[in-house]
Amino acid sequence: MMASNYNAKEEDGHQPAAIGHGGAGTVKNKKPDNTAFKQQRLPAWQPILTAGTVLPAFFVIGLIFIPIGIGLFVTSNNIQELEIDYTGVDMSSPCYNCSQSYSWNSTKPCLCSVPFFLDQPFESNVFMYYGLSNFYQNHRRYVKSRDDSQLNGDKASLTSPSKECEPYRTSDNKPIAPCGAIANSLFNDTLELYYIDPNGSRTAIPLVKKGIAWWTDKHVKFRNPGGNDNNLTVVFQGTSKPVNWRKSVYELDPSDPDNNGFINEDFIVWMRTAALPTFRKLYRIIHKKTNMTPTLPLGQYILEVTYNYPVRSFEGRKRMILSTISWMGGKNPFLGIAYITVGSVCFFLGIVLLIIHHKYGNRNHSADIPS
Amino acid sequence: MQAVLSSDYSFAQFRFLERLLLVHGRWSYLRMCKFLRYFFYKNFTFTFVHFWYAFFCGFSAQTVYDEWFITLYNLVYTALPVLGMSLFDQDVNDTWSFQHPNLYVPGQLNQYFSKTAFFKCALHSVYSSVVLFFIPYAAMYDTVRDDGRDIADYQSFALLAQTCLVITVCIQLCLDMSYWTAVNQFFVWGSLAMYFVVTFSMYSNGTHINFPASFPFIGTARNSLNQPNVWLTILLTSILCVLPVVAYRFLLIQLRPTINDKVGTLTNHTGFCS
Repeated sequence: MMASNYNAKEEDGHQPAAIGHGGAGTVKNKKPDNTAFKQQRLPAWQPILTAGTVLPAFFVIGLIFIPIGIGLFVTSNNIQELEIDYTGVDMSSPCYNCSQSYSWNSTKPCLCSVPFFLDQPFESNVFMYYGLSNFYQNHRRYVKSRDDSQLNGDKASLTSPSKECEPYRTSDNKPIAPCGAIANSLFNDTLELYYIDPNGSRTAIPLVKKGIAWWTDKHVKFRNPGGNDNNLTVVFQGTSKPVNWRKSVYELDPSDPDNNGFINEDFIVWMRTAALPTFRKLYRIIHKKTNMTPTLPLGQYILEVTYNYPVRSFEGRKRMILSTISWMGGKNPFLGIAYITVGSVCFFLGIVLLIIHHKYGNRNHSADIPS
Repeated sequence: MQAVLSSDYSFAQFRFLERLLLVHGRWSYLRMCKFLRYFFYKNFTFTFVHFWYAFFCGFSAQTVYDEWFITLYNLVYTALPVLGMSLFDQDVNDTWSFQHPNLYVPGQLNQYFSKTAFFKCALHSVYSSVVLFFIPYAAMYDTVRDDGRDIADYQSFALLAQTCLVITVCIQLCLDMSYWTAVNQFFVWGSLAMYFVVTFSMYSNGTHINFPASFPFIGTARNSLNQPNVWLTILLTSILCVLPVVAYRFLLIQLRPTINDKVGTLTNHTGFCS
């Protein structure tokens, strides 16, 4: 039975004759109230780490974590993923020429084709990501360099962006929309996938470019100034495009007004800065087919890259990732392995502590307490 | 009269001295030491996580946590629980304190907060910070949500790290407290609930629409806390931070029980209710 301390004994003696109080009149009682709160005797639970609580807890945690870990590990192993690095570092790589001869101002886009072979068909929805390495989107000055008011459609911020955007705040004496270093470094490679039939014909794989950003980002955080119905070219008059962009923000997707301007989903995905220097961002979705054929059948494919984004100068790497998804997200065996490890360590520790408790644990006798 | 006015404690009869020393004095020493150790632990842990993150953010001093969290951490999320512990904590009740005056000895020997104790607390913080950063880091490395969208972005990672921190620090406090009154329970669970309430309200649509630049984390709580792997990461991190402490304390009680432990066990065994 857990001890709940409730001291019913009256512990104060009578009040001595009041010192300093003279004669008649009401004697003010300076005694603190004899309540449980003020006399430090609130009823309480006093847990102690006994063998009866600690050891079962260790075993239970071990027995719960190991199956969770196994479940996570098996799920992660069943996810199919394919990564292709197309930076073009080696001379033999298809994109080597594009990576070498590059500058921001070149008007002729550089194209390269990377063939690859899929040795397992991909079922269900397949998600296409672009990944960057050694790209510090989490650098403090970079993370600050944006104007959320401007991106939320505030007209005042459109013409007078925040000071945090410096040095990407104005260009040609006109405010930049969208301002800041994050927007300026927007990823602008174009990736296309083609399936090569065994008889040699190419079919383009349909890539869906909407539904890649968070709903809250697309509908609340990012709004075009003046609402979505206006002609964006008119709305953005008086602003200039970011320094390293080729098109203006209202030309990002002119065919679809729901994906143009600040609410362009590729832009939104990029603006959600990554936490770590190696990251991947959702680029396109390949929806599953309605009949029983796999989304991406086994065979030869080709990735056509419009190589616009230079990463060689800072030893960065670019890659394209095709991945299926499960309830735990993408392929990441770490959590499964961690759970299995911690569960086993816990169980083992429980056994060790049980042995120690049996051999040494009977020293808590009251006879031992010197008094 | 002048002596009373210039003293820390004053009382009218000599028989009160025993209670002042053996009960309240002892409790006061215990509470102050526990408070200090815990306070250093929670703030060192909070800070060391930034040290580890520095290696991954180009040493640019980018904070792992949301700025509002940093402001409110010491003010709202962890203030009341530790206050509750330092007001109400008792390791042994007053009757037993009278019966075993040698419980007073640790205070005389400066055992509860010495350079060794501080060093152990700092070491514990380093371990906790390693767990609190690297487990979320590895779990979020190149990961995505269950609908394919982003979850390894800075805001979600910050939310994950800060949730892990708050929960771990709460569990550690629960381990440190040895006298759980209703007030303590209210403070601890209330602070944790307050964390979630404040987080969800700061990351809601309304706050962002009204103050876009001050509350940029909109949607983060809704989009990342509905992911099972986020909660599994939080569970793993908290358990991994706390397990060594439990094992170490249990071992100490088994192998080198102090007088407090023996009296405490005795109190529990006899179901003392006086």
